[in-house]
Amino acid sequence: MRRLAVILLALGLAGPARADVDAALDRHILPAFAGFAGAAERLADAAVADCRPRAVAPAYQAAFDAWMAVADLHIGPSETGGLSIAFWPDARGFTGRVLSQLIADEDPVAFDPLGYAEMSIAARGVLALEMMVFDPAYSHYDKGSYACALVRAIALDLSRQAVALEVAWRDGFAATLRSAGGAGNATYLTGDEALRALYTQLLSGLEFTADQRLGRPMGSFEQPRPARAEAWRSGRSLRNVLLSVDAAQALAHTLSGGALPQTDAAAARVHAMAGRVGDPGLQGVSEPQGRLHVELLQQAVRAMRAAIEAEIGVPLGIAPGFNSQDGD
Amino acid sequence: MTTRRRFLATLLAAGATPRLGWAAVGNPAFLAAARAPDGGFALYGLDQTGGVTFRVPLPARGHAGAGHPARAEAVAFARRPGQFALVLDCATGRVQHHLAPPEGRQFNGHGVFVNGGTLLMTSEQRAGDSRGLIGLWDVAAGYRRIGDWDSGGIGPHDLRLMPDGATLVIANGGIATDPFDRTKLNIPTMRPNLTYLDLDGTIMEQVELDAGLWKNSIRHLAIRADGLVGFAMQWEGEEGAAPPLLGLHRRGEAPVLAEAPLGDELAMKGYAGSIAFSGDGAEVAITSPRGGRLHRFAEDGAFLGAVSRADVCGLAARGGGFLASDGLGGLIAVTAQGARPLGHVDCAWDNHIVTL
Repeated sequence: MRRLAVILLALGLAGPARADVDAALDRHILPAFAGFAGAAERLADAAVADCRPRAVAPAYQAAFDAWMAVADLHIGPSETGGLSIAFWPDARGFTGRVLSQLIADEDPVAFDPLGYAEMSIAARGVLALEMMVFDPAYSHYDKGSYACALVRAIALDLSRQAVALEVAWRDGFAATLRSAGGAGNATYLTGDEALRALYTQLLSGLEFTADQRLGRPMGSFEQPRPARAEAWRSGRSLRNVLLSVDAAQALAHTLSGGALPQTDAAAARVHAMAGRVGDPGLQGVSEPQGRLHVELLQQAVRAMRAAIEAEIGVPLGIAPGFNSQDGD
Repeated sequence: MTTRRRFLATLLAAGATPRLGWAAVGNPAFLAAARAPDGGFALYGLDQTGGVTFRVPLPARGHAGAGHPARAEAVAFARRPGQFALVLDCATGRVQHHLAPPEGRQFNGHGVFVNGGTLLMTSEQRAGDSRGLIGLWDVAAGYRRIGDWDSGGIGPHDLRLMPDGATLVIANGGIATDPFDRTKLNIPTMRPNLTYLDLDGTIMEQVELDAGLWKNSIRHLAIRADGLVGFAMQWEGEEGAAPPLLGLHRRGEAPVLAEAPLGDELAMKGYAGSIAFSGDGAEVAITSPRGGRLHRFAEDGAFLGAVSRADVCGLAARGGGFLASDGLGGLIAVTAQGARPLGHVDCAWDNHIVTL
């Protein structure tokens, strides 16, 4: 059996690049990383031109929008690379602590954009920038201040990260996915595994949106936790939920190639439910009515996950991880 | 050339009971349980190149196993809460003995042969309160239960024999579970430890981490020839806390915690499923099936790097480096130079690889 696999491999019969993996890379993933790199560069340009919150905010919003198209990919260069771009959830409040320390010390790293790459990931990326620009505890700074230099350093570092990530996907990891099952590929041993990996990202991304992006601020009925919402300071928690769902829908279509009526209907329902959630930062979870709307939205996201499982996972015969689901 | 049939016939003619050594089953270097494509479960023998040397069916999903030091005989333990362990003849696949824990006890998935294979020790807990026990079984007497010791903690999981052959080290995971399923009952108050017992069952030493890490369940062990103990942990505290998942301990000293950079640590999802020292002893690695990652560390606890592989869990020393197995059927060789595919078997490898 094993010998047969070796022979097939030698003949080039096992592990041909899957058309669906190619489509996902060429039509969704790689263009999205290029788009994010462009948006992050414009954000850095904006911060260099004028570091003050009002000047930086629009480019920040655009860059975060672009990031959401690939934010839920956690494979290859994004496995750890994504965390220093969007460090969230921040269960222990690292970001505030590190930024406060930097400001208190007037740490010279803010004047060394290259050196900033060595900083804790909690002090890097869009959420560190968000805290500086949108949190009143940090955002009252002026041109020429230490905070101004820090904002520029974070934006420049973010832009460099975005380029590095795009290059790592385009010139490195894309080939690993496309050559699944090829000789020497220790990440994807059979042709199916690359497709499986991307499909798994779809499911775990929607899970993350339901459990974390929506679940964290919901907290418990007795104790809602609005300040645990993602990017609530810049009022984009709800927008991130929708963009993550849109990205999952787009990726699902490139992977499947066929019609996905259940997935599309589920995505439309997510948008409909989101329309009833009033506050863009999900701060309404503190009120019973507001919490209910977020809970309905959460259910709609979970329904979309189920639809993708039914329309893509079941036909492909992909089951959840044997060991990752076991736990012992 | 002697055929296997003739070899068996010779043994029978000589009146010997057919207790074959590991050579009779292809000299496997490793044992690993797996789920077969038909949904059934089996125990496999693997050689150093990842080739399958034997395969015997299991009646249900196993967890870990133990290989007899001389005979081609393996004990396969049920998953927690375990009601059975099977002693298998790896040549014929025949179940030689069904082991059941005494009334009110449960197997916890791991066991180890001691005294040259004359004694089997099993990690167990009292069903009612998860108090840890080490079960003792007389191998020569047909795996007769001859007693038990206190494990020194709650919910013991892995246990190993130290290189001196006279000390047992136990990972008391600290988690009390429901007698009928795996529901965890004491997370707020859990308090795991590492316990060393001599072969009279007397506690020689116990090691606890700082109180801030009591929610880090100490679950799996690896031992280096010089007595350095590696322990792998599973975090039960708040998500995203990114605690260290690997500790190193030398008898009489304070434990050393090994941490990866924050981003890597977060990617492990607070979970280490298996641990092993490298074949040359210079490195120690842990796997996270949840994170789909393997982390390598130096013997002083310094982080050396990560290997990404979906659903990776099983881990053992191979050559100078490691052998890793995963739920997609992959067998991967990992060295300081990188990872390379060693083989692929159409099955889902289970949590652990047992080194023979």
